[in-house]
Amino acid sequence: METFHLLMGGFAAVMQPTNLMFAFAGCVLGTLVGVLPGIGPAAGTAILIPLTATLDPTGAIIMLAAIYYGAMYGGTITSVLINTPGEAASAVTCIDGYAMAKRGRAGPALAIAAIGSFVGGTVATMGLVMLALPLTKLALSFGPPEYFALLLVGLSLVTGLASHSLVRGLIAAILGLLLAQIGTDPVVGAPRFTYGQTELLDGFGIVPVVMGLFGVAEILLNAEAHARQVFDTRMGSVMLSKEDIRSSTGPIARGTVIGFFLGLIPGLGSMIPTFLSYSIEKKLSKTPERFGQGAIEGVAGPETANNAYANAALIPLFTLGIPSSPTIAVLMGAFMINGLVPGPALFVEHAQFVWAVIASLYVGNVILLILNIPFIPLWVAILKIPYSILTTIILGFCLIGAYSLSNSIFDIVAMLGFGVLGYLFKKLDIPAAPLVLTLVLGPLMERGLRQSLEMSEGDFSIFFTRPISGTLLAVAGIVIAISTLQAFRAVRGADSES
Amino acid sequence: MRRTYQFTGSILLCLAVYVGYESLKLRYYTTLGPGPGFFAFWLSLILGVLAAAMMLQATFGRPEPMPPDTFADRGGYLRVGAVALAILAAALLLERIGFRLTMFAVYFFVLRMLGKQSLLTVLVIALMGSFGVYFVFVRWLSVPLPVGVFGW
Repeated sequence: METFHLLMGGFAAVMQPTNLMFAFAGCVLGTLVGVLPGIGPAAGTAILIPLTATLDPTGAIIMLAAIYYGAMYGGTITSVLINTPGEAASAVTCIDGYAMAKRGRAGPALAIAAIGSFVGGTVATMGLVMLALPLTKLALSFGPPEYFALLLVGLSLVTGLASHSLVRGLIAAILGLLLAQIGTDPVVGAPRFTYGQTELLDGFGIVPVVMGLFGVAEILLNAEAHARQVFDTRMGSVMLSKEDIRSSTGPIARGTVIGFFLGLIPGLGSMIPTFLSYSIEKKLSKTPERFGQGAIEGVAGPETANNAYANAALIPLFTLGIPSSPTIAVLMGAFMINGLVPGPALFVEHAQFVWAVIASLYVGNVILLILNIPFIPLWVAILKIPYSILTTIILGFCLIGAYSLSNSIFDIVAMLGFGVLGYLFKKLDIPAAPLVLTLVLGPLMERGLRQSLEMSEGDFSIFFTRPISGTLLAVAGIVIAISTLQAFRAVRGADSES
Repeated sequence: MRRTYQFTGSILLCLAVYVGYESLKLRYYTTLGPGPGFFAFWLSLILGVLAAAMMLQATFGRPEPMPPDTFADRGGYLRVGAVALAILAAALLLERIGFRLTMFAVYFFVLRMLGKQSLLTVLVIALMGSFGVYFVFVRWLSVPLPVGVFGW
């Protein structure tokens, strides 16, 4: 009952015309960012932070959250229309979404993606409402050892699942942790690895890092390849047939469950739920041979899982202060820019704000559903703009975004540096997502580890003797062991094949 | 990709040695517990092990096929260099000659480098991206953008 009253208070705040307008603008801008191939929701959200600079914290976060899930949907549009995922989670949609588009069924593919996203997003938000207070109460009982162990679970999942190669995934994660060492020591307050540069005292900001690794790196890769877009698909009617609806009901229900539960796990990444949903739908299908040829289940399931994941991934952020993906890390940065620290204390100290943002997720999902179908011609028109022009415009927004956050030239240089690093990472097949997540998690992990050891006077058994931290460390150990085993098997399998 | 990963591994190994050395200059342990150098030292050690693993994998493991787009042609590298140079130039000029002139130059240069648009198209986009964006951000969104020595 307490939750219901708080949520109603949130709805009262979000239904104010200005907040509704921010949610609407966020959905449109987010979808636009998602439509631009390669940029993705993380860099897109980061680029658009300056637009919210003058808003009050509630309005700013409502708009940024709408940009986030708008971008998650926007990625679908390019996957279906030009076979290029706007963001990684939509990669699997290319398989059947583009096949549908080539058969003149782009309209139904986009319509079912919009409906699935709405269902997945709304159910996941209901889960957020139900789990928020119990999880917050649990999190408030956490001490430094429990936090450290929880962050280690997140880290083990990031490195184990985010890469084709365990070694390369781990290297990216360790580089992020090392970069997090730059700045002021989180416990004693002494400067570290700053080499006398005052700009480095606060360490690298998440926004220039994300814009560099995802935005500038993509621009450099496109410049190198002289990328051109080919738009040769037919939209067709957006109306769904009875057969389409019947075929999609099961995949949407299963996608919601998969996306929601995987969204609760910090650090898993958005690709896993979509690929898992796709493979389950293919396995359950009586006609698996249709997959890859334009099966609507191959769009409905993954797209639902994608949005359910996107909304559920906000649960660890709101309740534990842990970002699950690079985009959520950017959102976390935006919280901090607005003087709010995500985590259990947020529900106590800024209850009105946090429930308004949660209510805005419901409203945003409705706006996205209403918005997506009529706006499709606009996105198609944007996709026809020459890529050199789009790239240059994105570069301009990256420059504004990096500079205007703290009016600092240093942030532009940092963005360029991380852009070059992201470009090299792509060439070397090193995933950038673990670096971003560990850059954010690094100071939290270090603080947790050091405060725990201070509590125990240097005795490491503190992590194993406390039930929650002991269990979490066991989970982390199992995940790392499974990942290592899989990596060895892959190497041995490849060797025996050759 | 064998040589590429051997080279990358060796660079990372050098980085690990350097960070490890630098972390030893910081306090490893204090009376309160681990010091500022504790985490960095262990991370550098792990990075060193991973870098060695990358080199060993590349040397003794099954060679990974090189994706066709790993290396670009001369024109590709020139375009990458041009974009990077434009960002660097923007960083150097932004507070000196102001947002509008800097962005006009960046848009003009990058568009000419990347595309084959007409001069008129390039000029229109450069004007919109510089003077137009300045107007929207400063007047409508109240986001301050730098004005340079010429007052632009």
